[in-house]
Amino acid sequence: MNASPAAVSGPAETASPRPAPQAWGRVRAGRRSADKILIIGCTAATALGAIVLGSILIMLIIEGIRGFSPALFTQVTPGPGSEGGGIANAILGSLVMTVLGIVVATPVGVLAGTYLAEYGRTSHLANLIRFLNDILLSAPSILIGLFVYTLMVRPMGGYSGWAGGVALAIIATPVIVRTTEDMLRLVPGPLREAGVALGAPYSIVIRNVTWRAAQSGIVTGVLLALARIAGETAPLLFTALNNNSWFNANLMGGVANLPVMIYQFALSPYENWRQLAWAGALLITVTILGLSIVARFILSGPKGR
Amino acid sequence: MVALSENVALAARPEVARRGPSPLGDRIFRFAALASALLVLLVLAGILASIAYGGWPAFQAFGPGFLVSSAWNVGREEYGALVAIIGTLVSALLALVIGVPISLGIAIYLTQLCPGWARRPVAMTIELLAAVPSIIYGMWGLFIFAPLFARFVQIPVSNVVEGLPIVGTLFYAQVPSGVGVLTAGIILAIMIVPFVASITRDMLDQIPTVLRESSYGIGCTTWEVVRYVLIPQASVSIIGAIMLGLGRALGETMAVTFVIGNANRLSASIFDPGSTIASRIANEFNEADGMQLNALMALGCILFVVTFIVLIIARLLVRRAKVA
Amino acid sequence: MSATATAVPVVGQSTADESAPIRLAVKDLNFYYGDFKGLKNINLNFLDRQVTALIGPSGCGKSTLLRTFNRIYSLYPEQRAEGEILLDGRNILDSSIDLNELRARVGMVFQKPTPFPMSIYDNIAFGIRLYERLGKADLDNRVEEALRKGALWDEVKDKLKQSGMGLSGGQQQRLCIARTVAQRPEVILFDEPTSALDPISTGRIEELIEQLRGEFTIAIVTHNMQQAARISQFTAFMYLGELIEFGPTNRLFMNPSKRQTQDYITGRFG
Repeated sequence: MNASPAAVSGPAETASPRPAPQAWGRVRAGRRSADKILIIGCTAATALGAIVLGSILIMLIIEGIRGFSPALFTQVTPGPGSEGGGIANAILGSLVMTVLGIVVATPVGVLAGTYLAEYGRTSHLANLIRFLNDILLSAPSILIGLFVYTLMVRPMGGYSGWAGGVALAIIATPVIVRTTEDMLRLVPGPLREAGVALGAPYSIVIRNVTWRAAQSGIVTGVLLALARIAGETAPLLFTALNNNSWFNANLMGGVANLPVMIYQFALSPYENWRQLAWAGALLITVTILGLSIVARFILSGPKGR
Repeated sequence: MVALSENVALAARPEVARRGPSPLGDRIFRFAALASALLVLLVLAGILASIAYGGWPAFQAFGPGFLVSSAWNVGREEYGALVAIIGTLVSALLALVIGVPISLGIAIYLTQLCPGWARRPVAMTIELLAAVPSIIYGMWGLFIFAPLFARFVQIPVSNVVEGLPIVGTLFYAQVPSGVGVLTAGIILAIMIVPFVASITRDMLDQIPTVLRESSYGIGCTTWEVVRYVLIPQASVSIIGAIMLGLGRALGETMAVTFVIGNANRLSASIFDPGSTIASRIANEFNEADGMQLNALMALGCILFVVTFIVLIIARLLVRRAKVA
Repeated sequence: MSATATAVPVVGQSTADESAPIRLAVKDLNFYYGDFKGLKNINLNFLDRQVTALIGPSGCGKSTLLRTFNRIYSLYPEQRAEGEILLDGRNILDSSIDLNELRARVGMVFQKPTPFPMSIYDNIAFGIRLYERLGKADLDNRVEEALRKGALWDEVKDKLKQSGMGLSGGQQQRLCIARTVAQRPEVILFDEPTSALDPISTGRIEELIEQLRGEFTIAIVTHNMQQAARISQFTAFMYLGELIEFGPTNRLFMNPSKRQTQDYITGRFG
């Protein structure tokens, strides 16, 4: 059958006497210490991550909590050298632009994700769009700021809340596209087939069956996108910039927002500005971390991950 | 038999005009989905076009010399990208050198060492690290990390290496303020760690259990299983994850702007302040016009090209690794 | 040689040597997956250079039992074993036992072939290098010896530097056997080693196990009764975490003493 000499040595009937077992203790010390170093190193790396997160939170709480007062939420940001003030306009501006961004990004993102998962699938076009969407997902946000500056701020003759909202929408869209597609792909094929078998047009199956089945995943994607854009600073720097007053209703002109306010005030020479920056930083971080936690719990809720 | 049952069915069901939902709605929905997907292409093309358009005058005025000139003089209208390019590359490479071992350590801890009950909270902690906004990292870096770094690293190290060849230049802080290229590299490292770690963790989790068991089965220690079996098995995607981290480090703006010192000169010491492409744009863009604006756009163009090459390689390697 | 189904399987030609010394003695072994008791009070001896087959329906604990012999279960913190397992008189469940070394002494071949992501040569040399420092020539010899014992040498001797992943399923499994043999273990555990293979590859692995018996004490888990009958000298039948019957293979198959064993081997359940 095969020519290996082991075949000749044959089974046990003619076996040589049993060899004495080797003594224990053959694991070299070097191997043991390499293993110990690995375990200590990996544990330390993980502890480091936790320490950094912890120290960021402690820093924000210690520095930020002092700035909390009713004025924070009722007064607008103070001018240079003036006393007191709050960040109400920045909070409102951030809210408006973030909502604008998510309102634009959600339909576009969900529809594009639906195209990739339901229509395009493995076509060349879908593969290309999927690939470029993944790249847009990690693209430097400052470049998106430059893009919207050229697209809107320059032609419209000045910074505006609209431009800020569009920049945030561009950042949020790829996140929603990606999660929507991933979640739709998790919906079992037979569910769609059952819908189509009832005679429903595909678009109705998607809207009434597939989307509904993937609902919690899609909501998670939107929340994650919200968390992502709520703290974005760089693109707002060139689009909405900042303003020390309430914005006018048509969102033209610079619009105050938390991230840019934090950036400008934190590095300022005025004590009350820096205090406001810390309070804003605490507010925004708590909001974003809260959103992330909620998003993850929705995802890992009843169905598990 | 078949014919009979068909006859029966036909006889039993009177012909009625059946109107389903309109096929137009179906077509509109499909078109909307396609249009939204194409918008992604359009935005990406728009980013490239707008930045290239904005930077074109600077490329035209300075030619290829723009890339190798270290000048940045607003008064004399002389601009070169060299300082920012070097600052970007050095800080990003430092971030990888520091961040990659930590990321691998966390991924290995989570997949191999962590007791079951702690896995979720620990993973959550690392994921929250990814959610902290960049500007908060900037504040942490400037107000918490930099003073400690100046006191416990920059000053002692500078004192030791002063006058020595090579290390005396590389690790000497002229003004030990805590900010500088190395500080930026460390903050960037912390920022890329959660991304690289979570992709690597997913990749390690995908390796079949039986491969891990059989490596333990021939008497390997955990170190040997990780070093010789698991990491080689996942190497391609781990490199992809690292490239993804590199892409983030290259384009990161706000955190770097806080801690790099924003100096426009070349220094051989990684303790000295410098600047990156992104930090320079963030610092100067709002006050710039004319050729300075074009030069900043041209910097953005270079950043676009470099990060997109890195990200394309990363995505090809990771192939749909979970990011969300 | 082919696995034709017959009511009473054909029993292997070689007879059991009941006087062989005890290599592995299991005493009052209980095993827990968290709160669930997977093995109940197992007592069993594995004799030197004999093949012992563990058979029984799915979930009966046969793999669980096998996985206690190299304590591979301890990769999972919620699993634990109580009792004694004596390897050459030494209790391997003792906390002082070095698990890595235990696994070099008690080799294991898994259900699915698991070549490491390295060359064919390194797949074999890797395990040897862990425990022995050998010169290049000695190492080459050991690798060749192992590949010959794994009945793979003739097929791979010209491509030792190629990746082990490029081999066929059956070749990969023989590579894993050679990798285990190369460490010169005292006991080799086979966990359904042919369930992922085609009939021809299965036949070759069975021949190989027969040859390896000359040198090693072997325990094999199999869901295929014909296979147990063909290659083992002793058989243990397990059911619901308990050892129902143990004895020489031909006696257990021809003349089982327990009703459950009889039912199982004649195909009435399982």
